[in-house]
Amino acid sequence: MSEENQVEEQPKPLILQKLEANHADALLAHDETRGTVVVVVRKEQAYAVLEYLKTDPELAYTFLVDVTAVDNSQMESELMQFDYARFMVVYQLYSYQGQCRARVKVPVHESDLNIPSVTSLWQGANWLERETYDMFGINFEGHPDLRRILMPDDFEGHPLRKDYPLRGRGERERFNFDKQNV
Amino acid sequence: MQGGLERATGEKMVLNFGPQHPATHGTLRIVLELDGESVLKATPHAGYLHTGFEKLGEHLDYNQYIVVTDRMNYLSPLSNNFGYVLAVEQLLGIEVTKRCQYIRILMAELSRLADHLLWLGTAALDLGAFSVFLYSFREREKLYSIFEKTTGARLTTSYTRVGGVFRDLYDGCEEDVRQFVTNFPKALKETHTLLTKNRIWMDRTKGVGAISADDAISYGLTGPCLRATGVAHDIRKAEPYSSYDEVTFDVPVGTNGDAYDRYLVRMEEMIQSCGIVTQVLDNMPDGSVNLEDNKITMPDKSDAYGHIEGLIHHFKIVMDGHGVQPPIGEHYCATESPNGELGFYIVSDGSGTAYRIRIRPPSFLHFQALPHMLEGGMVSDTVAVLGSLNVIAGELDR
Amino acid sequence: MGLDFVGQGAGETDGNIITTTIDKVVNWGRKNSLWPMPFGTACCAIEMMATLASKFDLSRFGSEAIRFSPRQSDLLIVSGRISIKMMPVLKRIYDQMPDPKWVISMGACASCGGVFDTYTLIQGVDQFIPVDVYIPGCPPRPEDLIDGVLQVQQKIASGASPKGVEAVYE
Ligand code: SF4
Repeated sequence: MSEENQVEEQPKPLILQKLEANHADALLAHDETRGTVVVVVRKEQAYAVLEYLKTDPELAYTFLVDVTAVDNSQMESELMQFDYARFMVVYQLYSYQGQCRARVKVPVHESDLNIPSVTSLWQGANWLERETYDMFGINFEGHPDLRRILMPDDFEGHPLRKDYPLRGRGERERFNFDKQNV
Repeated sequence: MQGGLERATGEKMVLNFGPQHPATHGTLRIVLELDGESVLKATPHAGYLHTGFEKLGEHLDYNQYIVVTDRMNYLSPLSNNFGYVLAVEQLLGIEVTKRCQYIRILMAELSRLADHLLWLGTAALDLGAFSVFLYSFREREKLYSIFEKTTGARLTTSYTRVGGVFRDLYDGCEEDVRQFVTNFPKALKETHTLLTKNRIWMDRTKGVGAISADDAISYGLTGPCLRATGVAHDIRKAEPYSSYDEVTFDVPVGTNGDAYDRYLVRMEEMIQSCGIVTQVLDNMPDGSVNLEDNKITMPDKSDAYGHIEGLIHHFKIVMDGHGVQPPIGEHYCATESPNGELGFYIVSDGSGTAYRIRIRPPSFLHFQALPHMLEGGMVSDTVAVLGSLNVIAGELDR
Repeated sequence: MGLDFVGQGAGETDGNIITTTIDKVVNWGRKNSLWPMPFGTACCAIEMMATLASKFDLSRFGSEAIRFSPRQSDLLIVSGRISIKMMPVLKRIYDQMPDPKWVISMGACASCGGVFDTYTLIQGVDQFIPVDVYIPGCPPRPEDLIDGVLQVQQKIASGASPKGVEAVYE
């Protein structure tokens, strides 16, 4: 009896209520850890969900804290959960109005590395997406200037993928000083 | 390279600024397209100091990685140590002792002072005020000696540990710190007299590199750069971590979001930090600094040498594949570093090393916003704006 | 210094004439007026700044005339991590310096990669440019950097060629 009451006393976070009402078909999973709501959404609706989170006046997640990705190829539990999608693109959001955080995760299959860019929503997304492209090879569609940012332009491979060795593939010993544009 | 050149009347000139330039403090590079003296287009380039911190995080165990966090933001290593272990501790679901929390606040605030001092010195140096550089280094050296006595190193401190700190404060630390914070406001006043109402300084920073609050949020600016635009947001207040709710301090804000406001905000933050330090010293709790949990913190040295249990615990923590092992899960933890929101996103697969460590660096987003602040301005403003942002290459490129 | 006094006890010129070689005089001048080019990239650069600032004051040893242009300097201090993107820049800066030139590799990263054995970091700049003096430490203390500069001075005084020159003649 008392246990049931306790469960009821915990209200569902506003963001989940609203997402379930408006974007229920986009949600793959959701969770709440340490005060942060985590939602996993379908790639097709990712842009719509992020736009909704930003523009809805009650939620107002106006601050895009971070964009990154995780290569789940060596994490069996995560892989199985989301239909063997190798990559998980992660957006961290913050709402100045509600002073709360949210995390949006989007599974991306290796066979189709395209995902819509959110640069039109947040100007700050530009470099964050470029870095994710550089490190993981995720292709952000609609990005104005998708180039490598941390690695040299002629670098091959994506260093933060799990199959890329820590010590590299000999790039740090092989050099062609003439070719590189200083 | 084409486009947006309607204003160009004469010939357009491309100026390469960096990566090795005295005002870039390291390895930043900006390509400027100029029409005479005015900047048409600025393109910042990053990556000249890319070190592979995130990849390294997948190969070192949780305590080893603390060493790496020092070298990321070398202006305030202690804040980085702090932010990282906090993320790991929250992932583990543990809370350190009260005394440890206070010591960490103390060190984080002192390193905020150290960061702002170095920023002040170099930003002033770039605009030709050499004396300020010498003055601020004089103060920074005093902090260095406090850090050295506490942590054993001047710069690369590696002071925190998961579940505690490397060691308690040394005898006489309180007097040293108190002496420093009493004298510091006077020293800062010297700088105020040199700069704050200085005609040259005001002309070169007022109205230069301004950004509005909305743009600042859209670009993801945090810390002093955001507060200079008038947004009173400070993670220490909004999401108090590690007993920050037990100290009182003000969050200084600016109005115009220009280089001058960023300067004023940082100057005031230093005074506030001194206040926090004094409060922390006044209320410093007694007790142990490390958690009494042998699965997480190292046993006392005498215990490790004198008892078999101690030896086993010690061994288990340092052994590869044992040590601190957070449960499977992920966590993002943000702290207010001197430069802004420093976040660590850690994914754990239950083993002794992280599956993925992502560092959310404030400088990365600040540097990205640079063209917005430069375009339309004069080429000589570039140095002033870059100086006011305090972009730290190690953190920018990781 | 290798200065020889001549004319001991021989009237007017008593002890007032010294003989030496041009080389020695030139080296003496070079040694005491090194113009460093600080190639500071990371944490070590902060310690380099501390060395130049008030407390440690490198100018006591005649090396305070910091030049940010490689064409005006004869001592390159590489302090900090060098990534594969930065190495061509460093190489070019080294090439732009006029001979004779000396190189100090300050800190573990510049000398051997330090704690960062990763895909992007050069494991020692001496693979690509000749280094005269290595300073260990992470970061080296300001005293260590001063010692490194003194070592370069000693090397110049002894008349030894810089590493870069040796490499050309080998
Ligand atoms: S040697 Fe140490 S202090 Fe110097 S750049 Fe490398 S990591 Fe930083």
